Amino acid sequence: MLEWIEGTSVGLWMRESPSVWAFPTILTLHTTGMGILVGASWLLDLRLLGVGRSTPLSAYRWVFPAITVGLIINLVTGVFLFIKNATTWGTAAPFGVKMLLVVTSVVLLLPIRKYVRGEASEVGGNTRLLAIASILAWAAAVTAGRLLAYLVV
Amino acid sequence: MNLAHLHLVMNHVPTIGSVAALGVLLLGYVRRNDHLKHVGLEVLFIVALLTLPVYVSGVAGYFEIKNRPDVSVDAVKIHQDVALFGFGWMMMAGFVAWIALWQWRRHGRPGRGFVPAATLLLVMTLVVMGRAANLGGEIRHPEILTGGAAAAPAGDPDRFVTSAITEVAVYSHWAWPAAETVHFLGLSLSLGVLLAINLRLLGFMSEVPFAQVHRLLPWGMLGFGANLITGMFFFVGQPGQYTSSNPFYWKILFLVIAGANFLYLTVFGKAWKEGESARFDPNIADKAMAILSLTAWLGVLYAGRMLPFLGKSF
Repeated sequence: MLEWIEGTSVGLWMRESPSVWAFPTILTLHTTGMGILVGASWLLDLRLLGVGRSTPLSAYRWVFPAITVGLIINLVTGVFLFIKNATTWGTAAPFGVKMLLVVTSVVLLLPIRKYVRGEASEVGGNTRLLAIASILAWAAAVTAGRLLAYLVV
Repeated sequence: MNLAHLHLVMNHVPTIGSVAALGVLLLGYVRRNDHLKHVGLEVLFIVALLTLPVYVSGVAGYFEIKNRPDVSVDAVKIHQDVALFGFGWMMMAGFVAWIALWQWRRHGRPGRGFVPAATLLLVMTLVVMGRAANLGGEIRHPEILTGGAAAAPAGDPDRFVTSAITEVAVYSHWAWPAAETVHFLGLSLSLGVLLAINLRLLGFMSEVPFAQVHRLLPWGMLGFGANLITGMFFFVGQPGQYTSSNPFYWKILFLVIAGANFLYLTVFGKAWKEGESARFDPNIADKAMAILSLTAWLGVLYAGRMLPFLGKSF
């Protein structure tokens, strides 16, 4: 299965095309998506922790469209990057860890989103905990992603 | 014009620029004029920003001239070492100046002690940069050496700081990957903040006072600072792979534009006209500034990520 994925024409194009529009551009888009996704999430988390608490939470609604854009960019480019290395990444523990961390980070966003939409005025202990978990989960996901380049060749 | 030439043109900026910034700051103290102090801090920030291409072009120039028989490699290296310290002092002075400017915009006055601290750091910068400039002059100006001999300045090549950093970069298994990771975390933080403030300038979330996105700027600075430190580690550790890489120079150019824009966003006064909570409607010039800012930051990211592909770096 993994061999078949890697052997598709997309996999071949990602690995062997000398064009900057192939692997380099996909990888750069993946980094850009990461910056938008993680950056926007962190700003919201910081607000939940009390940074600029005079700003109404409703002012942070823009982060969800931004997060969605980043998420879509990275899902699409991530699939391309996986196809390139399906046989090695598909069985590598660090890649599994990264996926787990990304899913955790995204799942943590769901209750946060609910909270921001619900327009509650107080930030309780649970919300703070959630914000800290979100900051750490994204940081771990970025770390795992970056280290993939060194751990799995 | 090659890069060694560019360095010869630009190398006066850190010293002469520091004198200019210091002069304006001291004049502000003598005349008890806050406006002059504010200008002095702005000049200091710009000089600190321009010091980055000065340092980079110096290292690139070294690769261009190091094989000439009349150039002492040790003389260049000791100059480079002192220049790196000067760079460090300059960055600290610029950083403190930036904090003072940010507080000034937000609270109407800088925090107690920040302007004197920036001034003192600038004096220290000037001393070290002056020494670096003098050592740099000795590389190719035998006429300024007493005795006329182009003697290499004393210095143990094994104890250069820049060589020590290269050693860590090349032989440590974890230093480079760790720095790359921090570089990506810093990138995300900076991009998030710049996205928020520029979206506001473009007219999104217009119900939010500008002051409230301005509040986020220090977090952008934190990400930028982390990336400046890790980025300098890459550059000082493995300079050759960057100086031979075209996208690296694009990245530096975008960084200078983005940095100047960061200063603009920090001191931007229009939104403060009616108190801290004032709203404002961006006009076409504000929107153009936001697009310039986003373009410059995405340019930094693009040129950086493309280094291994458009250039030869890893």
